[in-house]
Amino acid sequence: MTTIERTHAPILKVENAAISYETRYGDVEAVQDVSFNVHRAETFGVVGESGCGKSTVAFGIVDFLGPNGKIVGGSIKFQGQELVGRSQEELRKLRGDQISMVYQDPMQALNPSVTIGDQLAEVLTVHRGIPKEEAWQKSIEMLNRVYMPDSANVMGRYPHQISGGQQQRVVIAMALLNNPALLIMDEPTTALDVTVEAVVLDLIEDLKRDFDTAIVYITHDLGVVARVCNYVGVMYAGEMVEVGSVAAIYKNPQHPYTQGLMRCVPKLGATKEGSILYPIRGRVPAPKDRPKGACIFAPRCDYATEHCLSEKPQLRELERGHSARCFYAETIDASAWEPPQGLVPELTMEGDEDGREPIITLKDVKTYYEQESKSLLSLVGAGEKLYVKAVDDVSLEVPPGKTLGVVGESGCGKSTLAKTIIGLETPRDGEAKFLGFDLTVPVSQRDVKLIEELQMVFQNPDSTMNPSYSVGHQIGRPLRRFKAVPGDQVREEVIRLLNAVRLDGSYYHRLPRQLSGGEKQRVGIARAFASRPDLVLCDEPVSALDVSVQAAVLNLLMEIQDEYDTTMMFIAHDLSVVRFFSDYVAVMYLGHIVEIGPAEAIYAPPYQPYTEALLSAVPIPDPAAEQKHIRLHGTVPSALNPPSGCPFHTRCPRREILPDGGKICEEEAPPWQYNTDEHRIFCHIPLEELRKMEPVVTTD
Amino acid sequence: MLVKDYMTRHPVMVEPTMSIVEAQRIMSETKVRHLPVVETGKRLTGLVTRQTLRIPPTELASLNVWEITRFLSNLQLQDVMVKRKDVIFTDPDVALEAAAQVMIDHKIGALPVLEEGIVVGIITEIDMMTQLAELLGGNVPGVRATVRMPNRKGALAKLTGAISDQGWGIYASGGVPTPKDPKHWDCVLKIRNVSREDVIGVVESLQGYDIIDIR
Repeated sequence: MTTIERTHAPILKVENAAISYETRYGDVEAVQDVSFNVHRAETFGVVGESGCGKSTVAFGIVDFLGPNGKIVGGSIKFQGQELVGRSQEELRKLRGDQISMVYQDPMQALNPSVTIGDQLAEVLTVHRGIPKEEAWQKSIEMLNRVYMPDSANVMGRYPHQISGGQQQRVVIAMALLNNPALLIMDEPTTALDVTVEAVVLDLIEDLKRDFDTAIVYITHDLGVVARVCNYVGVMYAGEMVEVGSVAAIYKNPQHPYTQGLMRCVPKLGATKEGSILYPIRGRVPAPKDRPKGACIFAPRCDYATEHCLSEKPQLRELERGHSARCFYAETIDASAWEPPQGLVPELTMEGDEDGREPIITLKDVKTYYEQESKSLLSLVGAGEKLYVKAVDDVSLEVPPGKTLGVVGESGCGKSTLAKTIIGLETPRDGEAKFLGFDLTVPVSQRDVKLIEELQMVFQNPDSTMNPSYSVGHQIGRPLRRFKAVPGDQVREEVIRLLNAVRLDGSYYHRLPRQLSGGEKQRVGIARAFASRPDLVLCDEPVSALDVSVQAAVLNLLMEIQDEYDTTMMFIAHDLSVVRFFSDYVAVMYLGHIVEIGPAEAIYAPPYQPYTEALLSAVPIPDPAAEQKHIRLHGTVPSALNPPSGCPFHTRCPRREILPDGGKICEEEAPPWQYNTDEHRIFCHIPLEELRKMEPVVTTD
Repeated sequence: MLVKDYMTRHPVMVEPTMSIVEAQRIMSETKVRHLPVVETGKRLTGLVTRQTLRIPPTELASLNVWEITRFLSNLQLQDVMVKRKDVIFTDPDVALEAAAQVMIDHKIGALPVLEEGIVVGIITEIDMMTQLAELLGGNVPGVRATVRMPNRKGALAKLTGAISDQGWGIYASGGVPTPKDPKHWDCVLKIRNVSREDVIGVVESLQGYDIIDIR
């Protein structure tokens, strides 16, 4: 194939493109000197942290930059025709016909008040002048092509009536209806669950092969790039710092920024030691603060010299098809890199003190949400009540000073579990004990002492901080409330806490809007640790952050935990982050824990089939890694009416092992099988069978 | 081996109102020699080749040098292109050799591939030649032997059987009737990971089979 493809000119050729936004500070160059080519049936990945100009490049290709954005230099050629300087009318025609786009949020690309069928057929009737019935038929075919279950039926539904993964499939189908030569995808799977993401990524691979479409794929996720892209361009602060084939860049990254990115992504390796994260110090400069006439990465680079500060390096080809923008690309040896002092916390790693009483114990905890029944009887209170079983029969315990990771797809009850422990939801049944306190009491009736010992770090730091109070005030509040320090020492204590999360005292008077996302999360952490709690619940604390910031925040959490000997529960959907962070892991599905045990045991056979499927779906940032191909079909069943027997039986790929195709899975709840004292699996399949399975991920 | 497997999808396409100067530029920029001209919805309305862009000097003879410039800049593709009714095209589900025959019959270098009037690809002589090269394993290292054998049923099977008995794999093969000799058949085989002498040894052990070229 490659021999044939190479004889053709590229579909898209971007040369020295520079894009600016007009702001009140004058024109800000968001993107400068970006060049790349995309050929037929090739995926070009654009990867980088937020604010690096990835999306600006994508929007620039089709001039979707908005009224204040403009292309100020260079050329963008599509099939030999210059796109820069074209009128909106000409571009509109081209976009419908030959260039399509898929965005991050499918709900924003679909019209909520028009049925899916009408939206799809419209593409064909408007751009192609195809009669309505025929367009309808072709739309159904395309939905089948993107593996939409029950496609004829879906045509009559509205976007909100299908799941997120299905919505994104509709958007992809819509983008492909005109058989575009170029498809621009801007983070198309970021909003999806890992198992759904895996299916969508497979779909993109298939479509690229069958339709010979050239794809520009924009993402922040190095794992996704490794899975779907052929070529990749790494962007930093508006410039492309390294371009090359995926194999070359992952095996031998040449630019210090690329090397840094690779080091701060958690890998789904077999050992915890192999997954230490090294954040990149500093942060991406804002466009107006970028160094002029110097290497843009120099302020954060460990190898920077005088030369880097006085002259701007050009993108140069190091080997065929692999270029980097660095003066010293050849001389830098990434394997000889040593983390600078203080970059990674030095943990004392106390030996396992066995026999310490668990600090928190849950036994058969059930948290149900009552659902309004639609029957008339319920109006008078006589109807049968329906419940969403968000957390069902959950039992776990965490030894002091350890971390329990809780993973699962969205809707599996992770957050409800956290809310139950923190007291925002009251369990209907079961026992929950923490340091002798009863956790089944709602937070409003809890003892102040208990609240003091039980704190939480939230997912979205923006919505958990009061925008009108200063950072100092917000961290000081728990100190005053719990009288953790005498009133006249609150300020010193706040500054000490700020220092502990690597922020200096000048942040005391800042307002949340003056902080970056990573800084806000640090403040959130400082606030949670202000009362010196014994247990901290972290609900997706890093999922809204960039990889390099994520690494820094995770390291910080571990360091603080080490210092205060705090116990943590870490809720996340990202299995590689959990692997890195946790001592114990619990896998949840539909309100149940299906597997729980020490982290090493979870990531190696025997697996609960759901754990196996989750692991197989995680995108691994290493194109050389071998990963089992297990895909879950269908969607998570409704928790209002969970399947009988094993909750996972409707999607389980392994139940065939059992006699009668796993009939028992539908009829009886599975037993807890103990692999070791601490590692138990909720499954009918005998442990011997589960042990025989190959590990999901094998790296060389 | 159907047209849809070997055509170039998403060919460079142009609009009928484009100036011929721009079309010339696109051709040299993208290194293509045939541009399907399309209307809204990628419906074919004509075809432009390098030849159609060549204006006969007689048309310009009566014009002075200034008029020529204006004449050329006003000329649009719809004035010079091969019109829809005269374009010879093919279908994605046509066999590759059938498409080749159409190109031979009309002595043309490319066929737009249409699906209900919509351009889905283009197949050119270069695509055909690429396939010829692939068919004979031109791009892989190995021993290439041309064997002349009797033109009768089972002759090829005997040869390939002898080769596979050695545990060798045939990477590519192709056969044609020997030119000017209807009693024989020439077959090219590409065999990997063997030496020339081994191949000669095996073929010579067969009665009536000659190696006429080996490299």
